[in-house]
Amino acid sequence: MGVLGPNGCGKTTLLKLMAGVIVPATGGLTLNGVPLRQLSRRQIAQQVSIVPQETHPAFDYSVQEIVLMGRHPHLGRFAVEGPADVAVAHDAMVATGTVHLGARSYMTLSGGEKQRVIIASALAQAPNLLLLDEPTASLDLGYQLAIAALLRELNQERGVTLVLATHDLNLAASVCDSLVLLRQGRVLAQGPTVDVLTPSLVRQLYDVEADVSFHSGAGHLTVTPLRRDEATR
Amino acid sequence: MATRSQGLIVLTLVACLAWMGAPAWAAASADPPQRIVSLVPALTEVLFTIGAGPQVVGVSSYDDDPPEVLTLPKVGALLDPDTERILALRPDLVLVYGSQNALQTQLAKAGIPVFEYRHAGLADVLPVFRTLGTLTGHETEAACRVAEIEARLEAVRTRVAGLPRPTTLLVMGREPKSLRGIDASGGIGFLHDMLELAGGRNIFEDVQREAVRASTEMLIARAPEVVVELHYNVEIKESRRDEERALWQRLGAIPAVRGKRIHLLFGDHLVVPGPRLVRAVEEFARAIHPEAF
Amino acid sequence: MTRESSKDANGPTAHDWDHRPLRSRLMITVGGFGTLALAVAVLAPLVGSTPIDFARVFDRSIPFVDNADAQIFFLARLPRVLAAMVVGSALATSGVVLQAMFRNPLAAPETLGVSAGAALGAILAIVLGFTVTVGPFSPVPIASLAGALGAATAVYLLASAPRRPLSTAVLLLAGVTLNAFISALILFVQYLSDFTQSFRALRWMIGDLDVGNYVPILASLPLVVVAFAMAAMISAPLNLLTLGGDVAATRGVNVVRTHRLAFLTASLATSAAVSLAGPVAFIGIVVPHLVRLIVGVDNRVVLPAAALFGAAFLVGCDLVARTVMPATEIPVGIVTALVGGPFFLWLLVRKV
Repeated sequence: MGVLGPNGCGKTTLLKLMAGVIVPATGGLTLNGVPLRQLSRRQIAQQVSIVPQETHPAFDYSVQEIVLMGRHPHLGRFAVEGPADVAVAHDAMVATGTVHLGARSYMTLSGGEKQRVIIASALAQAPNLLLLDEPTASLDLGYQLAIAALLRELNQERGVTLVLATHDLNLAASVCDSLVLLRQGRVLAQGPTVDVLTPSLVRQLYDVEADVSFHSGAGHLTVTPLRRDEATR
Repeated sequence: MATRSQGLIVLTLVACLAWMGAPAWAAASADPPQRIVSLVPALTEVLFTIGAGPQVVGVSSYDDDPPEVLTLPKVGALLDPDTERILALRPDLVLVYGSQNALQTQLAKAGIPVFEYRHAGLADVLPVFRTLGTLTGHETEAACRVAEIEARLEAVRTRVAGLPRPTTLLVMGREPKSLRGIDASGGIGFLHDMLELAGGRNIFEDVQREAVRASTEMLIARAPEVVVELHYNVEIKESRRDEERALWQRLGAIPAVRGKRIHLLFGDHLVVPGPRLVRAVEEFARAIHPEAF
Repeated sequence: MTRESSKDANGPTAHDWDHRPLRSRLMITVGGFGTLALAVAVLAPLVGSTPIDFARVFDRSIPFVDNADAQIFFLARLPRVLAAMVVGSALATSGVVLQAMFRNPLAAPETLGVSAGAALGAILAIVLGFTVTVGPFSPVPIASLAGALGAATAVYLLASAPRRPLSTAVLLLAGVTLNAFISALILFVQYLSDFTQSFRALRWMIGDLDVGNYVPILASLPLVVVAFAMAAMISAPLNLLTLGGDVAATRGVNVVRTHRLAFLTASLATSAAVSLAGPVAFIGIVVPHLVRLIVGVDNRVVLPAAALFGAAFLVGCDLVARTVMPATEIPVGIVTALVGGPFFLWLLVRKV
């Protein structure tokens, strides 16, 4: 599922709420029918993991160490990783194509590699629900396509539910089956991608006139922005 | 011995007579200064003792002897001289520390004569009396005071001459209620000189510094036979003094503790290199050589 | 604890991936640094400015009061070495924990105002001549401990506003502010005191390990042990903090609790160390970095390594301090600063 909207509309906040990082002042969230409030942080973390928009580690951890950190909610009292944990982490790195980076220092990686490592770390958490905040924001085109392909694979072949917060409409269109459009903290529209991604809604969301059409080469809807919509200003 | 002191007195009388007839030094102004400000407590005491007291109009914040200075205006001290206040007193002579360069420059600009004091050994103290005597027009009295002091010092010297000199630790300061942070007198400086004069042997005589941080190891290794503690900022009641002495039991193996030769001395005359240093020397000698007094 | 299965039928074995299990890394690290610390601890009391005869030191037939060698060993040097170990390990641990909590390699025990509080307490005790003793403890250590804990409490209260979780940014600001304020107070007190008291106060602030007495060391142990225990508890969460509080929370870390414990650990350890020996500079910054250069950045390994290395390092610095100049000793803080300063510059140059 994709969460779309302009900057500041609350996408990140929504993800944080879903991960239990922030607590809503009113109302509540339920995870698989259980109110989030009743679950411990650890229990939530065992089911939901998040890939943040930016990561700046304060210290020079290796890729391995960062991926293994994802195992934390599953570790015992003394937070020591066992062979099974190492196996899960290894598996996550295989899935994201980052095994060869294992011993490297995270800080020395390229943007795309870093993003994949963080996804591996989130995968190592063995979540049912993976939340991603602007996963391709600072990546160049090649990496954007690679991440999109990875996400599709994770969803289709590994059955991980994804929630993607992005303002990249084409990414959302290529990965997400359903969309939620947020504007100023309120839901503008939600439903299957095909139904929601329309020029009129795009105009309402971004004040931009766009052409939305199915691109047979890409295999999904694509959005081509045409011009700024002056009328609504 | 006796003839020596007699000889000194005769010499003094002759000197006093001679000085009265001597022409005034060119260095001294025609009229001696009448508005003296002193930033150095030791020098203040000297001024008062040579009769120049009435010429003093301002003293340092730490002056408290003789009692007359308590009513005089205070102008700061070594670290914080108050130039404004000094100038406000319209002085014609200011006694300053040698290290107070900024102050000296300012006074020079104002055209005010300055006398520099440099902290040194015992031998340098008495000449200062003479110099101040000349500067303030009290040469005779200064000379007489010097003679008195020298005579008393000589008396102490004689009393302890020939007696064995015990190794002595002279403690200038330490942490309250603890033996940590002991600052002791090193091998130079007027405290060391006074100690030697009083018939003691400074355990740090080989250290060419005025103050030494005495660590536990140093104290055990050098094994002083006498410990003299100087308490000049605080007064400790007689009843509490045993507690202070008892602190030294922690180093119960050093000779001074075993021989119960821990002495506490009180009063700031112990550390001011002025006229009262004689009293200090006498107290040192009494502590180190009780058998001679 | 660790499930140690030598075979793993389902997936790739550890060898494929070159992952060294924590347990073996810890054993090697603790073994290595522990041996170093032990060696230093055993050798240091044997060396000093006064030559002593080891045979005499342990010769029971000579009564203690006549045995200068034994006195020097047991009254002067051994307490000093033990104090150095406690102070070194406490300050190093505090440094590691603070650096992880603030996500800043430059954080140090001095940052939070605890050292400044201790200094204020000590200086007041020195200048005003406090004579209050509690049992065998003298006024200055009591006052500096009170000052340290007081400052830590003040910083904590300043930083934990109601309805807002403990924010490290605010904590840092509160610490820096309190530092500045207390430093001003210290200067004020020094201004009011006379030259000798000023000098002695300044001297205290450079640090002094010559305790000469086992009692203060024993008294500081409970605080330090508690601090170490708490540090061990939060060593894994501290790792997770590296990507930020939010990310850590999504991995199941109770971030506020971790920050609180980290703050408490650092405060207790620093308070104990500073009231024992004054604020010894640079240990909290230099030792964690040196250790990370050797063992990597995993706090579960860095913490015990830093504690052990900090102990050994300070014993070494103190050894230099008391033997390098004939007939006198230089304060240990000067040695740590002379070693730490250039090292720190080198670190900066490396990073830039």
